[in-house]
Amino acid sequence: MVDTVVYQQYLQSLKSTVESLLVTQVANVWSIYGGLNRLYLCLEKIFKHGCKGISQEGVFFNFIQGLEWLQPEPSKNYFSVDCEYHPQIPALLKNDKSLIWLYKSLESHTLSTKLSWLLLETSHLHSCYESWAFLCQNQYAEATLICLKAVERNQVTFLSEINPCLFLKNANTQGFVKTHRRCFSFPESHLKFSGKTKNNSLKDIPDQNTLPTGTINEDKEKLILGKLKPWSSLPALQIDSEIKIKGNKGYFLSRTTPNTPIHTKKISPSLLKVDYNALQPRTNKATLKKPVRKEKEPETKIRRIVINTSNIIEHTPCSSTYQRNGGVQFDETMGSSGTYERDDRFKGFLSHSPLSMVDSFLPMQGTKDYSRHRPKRFIEDGGMSILPMATGYFPKPTKGQSLTSFLTSSKLARSNAELDRENAHFSISEAIISAMEQLKCNRDLNLVSDEQLDDSDPEIMDLKQRIRLRRRQRYMETKGKQWCGYIISDERTDTTVSPKSTPPDTASYVSSSEDIDDIEIDEATANLGESQGLSMSLASLYSDADIVKKPRGVPDGASDILSAEGVALSLISKFNEKHLPKASDLEWLVSEEDAPQALLPLPKSWPVDLEKPTTPLRGTKDWAPPRPQIVLALHPAPARKALMEKQNYRCAGCGMKVAQKYASKYRYCDYLGKYFCTGCHKNQVALIPARVLYKWDFKGYPVSTFSYKLLEQMYFDPLFRIFELNTNITKLCSNLDFIRKYRLGLCYLKEYIVTCRFAETIQERLEQDLPSYFLSKLDEYSMDDLVNIKNGDLKTKLKFLVDICCRHTSECKLCLARGFICEVCKSDEVIFPWQMRIVSRCIKCSTCYHTKCWKPTEQCPKCSRIIKRKESTSSTSR
Amino acid sequence: MASRKKILLKVVILGESSVGKTSLMNQYVNRKFSNQYKATIGADFLTKEVTIDDRTVTMQIWDTAGQERFQSLGVAFYRGADCCVLVFDVTAPSTFKSLDSWRDEFLIQASPRDPENFPFVLLGNKDDLEPRAISAKRAQQWCQNKNNMPYFETSAKSGSNVEQAFLAIAKNALAQQNSTVDLYNEFPDQIKLTNTQKPSGSGDSCSC
Repeated sequence: MVDTVVYQQYLQSLKSTVESLLVTQVANVWSIYGGLNRLYLCLEKIFKHGCKGISQEGVFFNFIQGLEWLQPEPSKNYFSVDCEYHPQIPALLKNDKSLIWLYKSLESHTLSTKLSWLLLETSHLHSCYESWAFLCQNQYAEATLICLKAVERNQVTFLSEINPCLFLKNANTQGFVKTHRRCFSFPESHLKFSGKTKNNSLKDIPDQNTLPTGTINEDKEKLILGKLKPWSSLPALQIDSEIKIKGNKGYFLSRTTPNTPIHTKKISPSLLKVDYNALQPRTNKATLKKPVRKEKEPETKIRRIVINTSNIIEHTPCSSTYQRNGGVQFDETMGSSGTYERDDRFKGFLSHSPLSMVDSFLPMQGTKDYSRHRPKRFIEDGGMSILPMATGYFPKPTKGQSLTSFLTSSKLARSNAELDRENAHFSISEAIISAMEQLKCNRDLNLVSDEQLDDSDPEIMDLKQRIRLRRRQRYMETKGKQWCGYIISDERTDTTVSPKSTPPDTASYVSSSEDIDDIEIDEATANLGESQGLSMSLASLYSDADIVKKPRGVPDGASDILSAEGVALSLISKFNEKHLPKASDLEWLVSEEDAPQALLPLPKSWPVDLEKPTTPLRGTKDWAPPRPQIVLALHPAPARKALMEKQNYRCAGCGMKVAQKYASKYRYCDYLGKYFCTGCHKNQVALIPARVLYKWDFKGYPVSTFSYKLLEQMYFDPLFRIFELNTNITKLCSNLDFIRKYRLGLCYLKEYIVTCRFAETIQERLEQDLPSYFLSKLDEYSMDDLVNIKNGDLKTKLKFLVDICCRHTSECKLCLARGFICEVCKSDEVIFPWQMRIVSRCIKCSTCYHTKCWKPTEQCPKCSRIIKRKESTSSTSR
Repeated sequence: MASRKKILLKVVILGESSVGKTSLMNQYVNRKFSNQYKATIGADFLTKEVTIDDRTVTMQIWDTAGQERFQSLGVAFYRGADCCVLVFDVTAPSTFKSLDSWRDEFLIQASPRDPENFPFVLLGNKDDLEPRAISAKRAQQWCQNKNNMPYFETSAKSGSNVEQAFLAIAKNALAQQNSTVDLYNEFPDQIKLTNTQKPSGSGDSCSC
């Protein structure tokens, strides 16, 4: 606990230094007097904290030495450990090489990259630092990287990426693990810059002052080559289309319109509105079918980019931690010309697109770091991590359940589908408004009913009158007090927004629309509050108290402050529980009709996984959400009318109903064989397993976003016993027979290679080149394997591996000794099981014989000896 | 004859699993013992130079897997062995009972020229452990029926008798080699293991 205080202190000082540096918006942050030194001192503390074994060269010289071997080969010069002392460096550091390095890296804006390399190698990190060291705390180290990146990019907005829980005392950071980062998962390598100077048109874009711009490229006109979509999504957004953008705004917009809200210190609420405005055209335009190609007006061009990002964001696996790669990758892709030339082996397998669909599955350089945050494979979680857009799930309150307990129940948090989360805002806000109205109504009724009571007795009347007066007096007093408090709290938010008020942007579902919803709710409830004289305000939503204490009754980490129920809770927390109506008494937007829960009973033995809340896939009477299935059936050619009727004119992804005349707008998903709305189907193309298996057809077909994610997830999984599924498959591809034999041969060879102490290099080779299932589950193939069979890569690879293995076994003393001698002919020739043309192997005892000496149908001599022996031992023991 | 020639003696150690085959070899070659059990996979060998009757010979000692599940690899190394060492655990009667099958299996796979007189040596290992299940007498009796096979009681742990046993093994192997060399002179078409096996990946399908 003491440590946490130290970590917080360090991070706090670092963050505030960075903020103070960036707030002035100067082109070069180091031109701020003392800025470099101040930041350096903050970092020095961090680097020195918990450092093991101080070497002669410098305090943490051992640690930075890691760069020598951690960095990738080509960038050696870039990362070289430069420790030479220069006169402009404070003399204090003269004798410590590591401190000089730190100072220089910081000054040259390379520290975050270097540090991220160092942190990536955890074993090295732990060898140099104690486990309690600041840098060993993943979350804090990440936050440090964010701060550094913010300085390097000169963008204060980056700081909003810092997990606010890090500043909380006793924070349960566990519950706020980032699972999904939409904003930075945008594959930036798709944007290619090749720019030359021209005047920047800063004024073209209003409200941009809050978004700091890239300092270095400030005065350049950028030519963005729009490699925006490797998957030929929206037909009009063509690959390789060129979009000219004046100024680099387009780029920054695309990265700074994060869907995570930005409530950073010193950024006025107007920023929120900027985001909102910027997003609006996006939502409108995203569905447009014919975007104009060469627009002249810069503003609209920028919107174009945003449209694209919206599309890409949706289906990019959000595995990359931006802090680690973002900046680096940006630099890399700036210079590189061919982003897609990385993996040549996939070239040309999709006939209609040079940018093969598979490429988009593969980890892009710098964008996805599978080694750190590898997304779950299909085979590991059965595709349960891929959520449909909507499941139509909204829990119903039980009878007599209070509003608070309903809102805090984990049921609400369980509906993880994006659309459900968003729709929850509507239902809940509606319910809250009606709750408020009911409150108001009840109070008025009470006042009236008091008056209406029997007025026969004058004495009672008199007493009543006095009671009433007294009550009014009291009421006015308390009201006055509340108003005072209200004003104070409002002021507080306007002037000092402490970092604690940074709302967590942790949850996966925090999306743009929630920002909008928040504002709407705020306004609605603020008006309501004012009219009633209740102390509800925008301030109450984001005040320190709310976040530190959490809304009443919220279980730790169960719900997020910005989720629908989180907002609702903070609103009703101002009321006394007993005045609030019961949750079951309220009219919920979701009617019984829409969500007939009783009609779709869940299995009683639903596996309850406490770690990740499972989504109860529900749906409604005439729609069910898509399930993560492996579809092996070939769908008949789609007959739109019949199919749409079968689907009740609902989108298979989210259940949205469509009028018959607009049914033509729905898109067919070739994988699930159903029609989807344009929100759930973005015309991404993917390989369809059934088409590959039965037709050997490797073309990409348009699929829904859900299917795309699912197919992407299962791409490398050995899910297909191709010879069982299609007995005629070898007729479709002559290579398959060859592959099957080589795979078996290599499997036999592996037995020898892995147990041979002279074959270590080949062992490594086998491990590297082949997935683990490849030589253990011989009949299982992944889509990746099939693609590689199709293009011949697998054949070449297997041939090569069999070759080196055979060469080894024919020369290695040990392997030769482990060979077989045919005991039928007793010839001295050593035979091996992989010599399938001349050798037969007994399935039971795996002894090998010449095929000419022994047939697998005959009784194996060794087996019969074994049987005889067993018989004799069992008889003697009896 | 051939005293100037470098002599290589090939010795194969056989026996049930966990009787101490690897430990015996390690004790003899490296003078080390470990209580940790690690099953041998397939086969492996160590070499040691010894001097017998003023002649330096290299002993190539092949250690094998006793566990049946590791016997999916071949035993081509039985061929050309000069001596076979059978090992059992004096505290485990089953390991003694299986000696016959190990001996038979060796003779079948190695197919020596003169199976009757092929030198075997029997080692009763773990004689430091109690309680004994197989008495020395019983073991010796078994040996007598098998062409007077030499018998030693050893402990790979303490190292007792290991040196003597392997010296006897080496002598027997040397004697065997001398006799086969004579045989080779009679039959000049001598054995040669072919090292030029090429794979036949695209061959006929294998039922395995």
